Amino acid sequence: MKFLPLVWAAVWRNRTESVLTLLALSVGFALFGTMLALNAAYERAIAEARPDRLIVACAFDCGAIPLGYREQIAHIAGVIGVGGQLWLGGHEQDEHHQITVMFVDEGMRSAWPELPMSPADWRNLDVNPSGIFLTRKAAARRNVRVGDTVTLNTAPGSRADGGGTWFFKVLGFIPDPPGGAASAGPSWDPDTIVGNLRYFENSSDLDERSLVNVLRVAVDRPEHARAVCRAIEARFNSPAVNCIPTKLDAEELADADINMRQISLGIGAAGLFMILFLCANGIAESVRERLTEFGVLKAMGYGDDLIAVLVVLEAAAPTILAALIGSALALGVDVLVAHLALKGTINMPPVRVSVSAFGWALVAALLIALMSAVAPLYRLRRTHVAAVVAGR
Amino acid sequence: MTELRQIATVCLISIRSLGERFATASVIVVGMACVVGILTSLLSLTAGLTDAYVRPEDVTRVIVWHEGADFDQSRSLKPNMIDTILDAPGIANGPDGKKLADAEFLMRLPLEGFAGGSLNLRGVGPGGLALRPAFKIVAGHLFRPGTRELVAGAGAARKFGLTVGSEVRMRDGSWPIVGIFRCGGDIIESHLVGDANTVMAARRFPGFSQVIVQLLHAQAYPKFQQWLLENPSLSVSVERKTDYDLRMVGSDTAFFTRMAYVIGAIMALGALFGVVKIMYGAVRARTREIGTLRAIGFGATPVALSVLVEAALLGAIGALIGTSIAWLIFDGREMWVWGAFKLRVSPSLWVLGLIWALTTSFLGGFFPALRAAQVPPSEALRAA
Repeated sequence: MKFLPLVWAAVWRNRTESVLTLLALSVGFALFGTMLALNAAYERAIAEARPDRLIVACAFDCGAIPLGYREQIAHIAGVIGVGGQLWLGGHEQDEHHQITVMFVDEGMRSAWPELPMSPADWRNLDVNPSGIFLTRKAAARRNVRVGDTVTLNTAPGSRADGGGTWFFKVLGFIPDPPGGAASAGPSWDPDTIVGNLRYFENSSDLDERSLVNVLRVAVDRPEHARAVCRAIEARFNSPAVNCIPTKLDAEELADADINMRQISLGIGAAGLFMILFLCANGIAESVRERLTEFGVLKAMGYGDDLIAVLVVLEAAAPTILAALIGSALALGVDVLVAHLALKGTINMPPVRVSVSAFGWALVAALLIALMSAVAPLYRLRRTHVAAVVAGR
Repeated sequence: MTELRQIATVCLISIRSLGERFATASVIVVGMACVVGILTSLLSLTAGLTDAYVRPEDVTRVIVWHEGADFDQSRSLKPNMIDTILDAPGIANGPDGKKLADAEFLMRLPLEGFAGGSLNLRGVGPGGLALRPAFKIVAGHLFRPGTRELVAGAGAARKFGLTVGSEVRMRDGSWPIVGIFRCGGDIIESHLVGDANTVMAARRFPGFSQVIVQLLHAQAYPKFQQWLLENPSLSVSVERKTDYDLRMVGSDTAFFTRMAYVIGAIMALGALFGVVKIMYGAVRARTREIGTLRAIGFGATPVALSVLVEAALLGAIGALIGTSIAWLIFDGREMWVWGAFKLRVSPSLWVLGLIWALTTSFLGGFFPALRAAQVPPSEALRAA
């Protein structure tokens, strides 16, 4: 503790430059924290993906897996639930407002219980097949209330009556996905509208009936997931189906195409590299300018170890402070990143700065302080006390 | 003239003394290299994606859709409308005297899982190849009209491991890949291509999704559009190909462009504080030199400018290093976002990186430059 006044005085030796250093370091740590949170978001999405859920789709000729497979899959050992899922996309009255309704069947109650629909919601959807449930974000985006009608315009001929306009009655709202886009499958995003597959089956063009985009399957035990997938793929060969455990799917999502996990770590590392250079320069300059002071301390009996502690603490004080400030700033930056992701087409899980991000920032700050102090300490060890005190 | 000479002299003195301040100067260089390197790396994705979608020849091309169905997966443009569309004025003729236009469609074939990517099959007619002069079979042969054959783009072949002899199973059976093609980096290199009429018949598609038309020149568009929209026998919409390209690529690039600028701005802010700090230190270290210069008659402006020039020079070096690293690592690297494309650190990105670094350096050097200009010679010499 007796060193603290010395360290404090050294840190604030040049007030303007110290404040500037602190600001630069804080910004660097804000970037580091943001990227760490982004990386963690993808990791979390993978961790939260259920290992006992499967997705079955056609392997090649897409858009079309026969709904009849549902019953056959249900009889495969280990399967405890199967449900069909189909997306119908188009635009609302305004052509620029895209809208997609996700039709599901009752089988989803057991195949996809993560879909936040209560038994009452399912009953409501059953009684009102042309009804829809919207996530709160989807509802807020369209400013709709229960009882309102939502219009979906598709290409002419998509309906059995030859038309292309679909009308849906808003039955209620469901919570937004809690654990990220990938946690319950690749297509569960905050802007989801749930409709009744039976309604689509009865109203769509005859060619489009009895087909779904995917079948969701729940298995009794996670370790059975791969075996059940193999059994499903073996059973259906024409058209070929592709079965994938949702956990594997979440991993593919994170690493597919543009690997956001790698990008975030790369940017975070660049931020740390900047911080390291700035911090190392600052501490080297400080030691160089205060050689006489260190010489006097040595002459007073301070050993190399004590001097080392002083220098490391002087390096650590601003970096740790900056790590705390920067991580707090990262909370705000994350909100911005999430906002940008929602505006784009990138399927990004929610980004949140966690306690562990603060922890990693502190660890990084300490490491940077230690690395920054190495060169100045080496110089100090080689410095001859008498020469320094004599000003030579 | 004297003022200019003074500026040049002081700047030279400042730059020559950089060697003595190598460590501090390198902080600016490294910081700026990180800022610009990250910025240009992220934007190389946007540049590459735009290059793949927006082709130079698209300026004179137009897409005709069925009204209200302006998306690739629509198939509502009935075959009997095509001849009428081709009667429109302003369409260029190919070397064989036929109209340079083609009715096409696109269908999606997810090949592996869901996130792993999906593959598009583009159905083209005889005009499709004439519209794409860069189209070249590099292995096997072109599909034969009327047969169940497909050719795969080089990008799609690499991504999905397709070779001549591979088979794509569709609902009605297997379709062999009989050739691999290149098309000058066009996004079609990420597609399978087959004869439109054959695929339509096999899949029982009711129509095409679009007609791509080559106009005589860009100015022919208004007349062409007006003729189609006013034709009572047609119900179509018309879009410039460049507008369509930007519509397609825009949603993919928007996120990365915004993210690149947000991250670039955050990093630049950190670098800005660093530059201010380093340049204040530089002015402090050069106090005696500045005092001497002022005492022997050098003005405040040359001294201030020397600080700005030093900051700008270091920033520019950092920008060049950062962009060079981004270029070495990323330029030409293949990625896949709905299709294969190559990351591109384009000349405009080099310029952007330089401007980004110079702006940050100038802003960062401004206040230290003011301080340098205000150093009283007597005090500076005394302090030294």
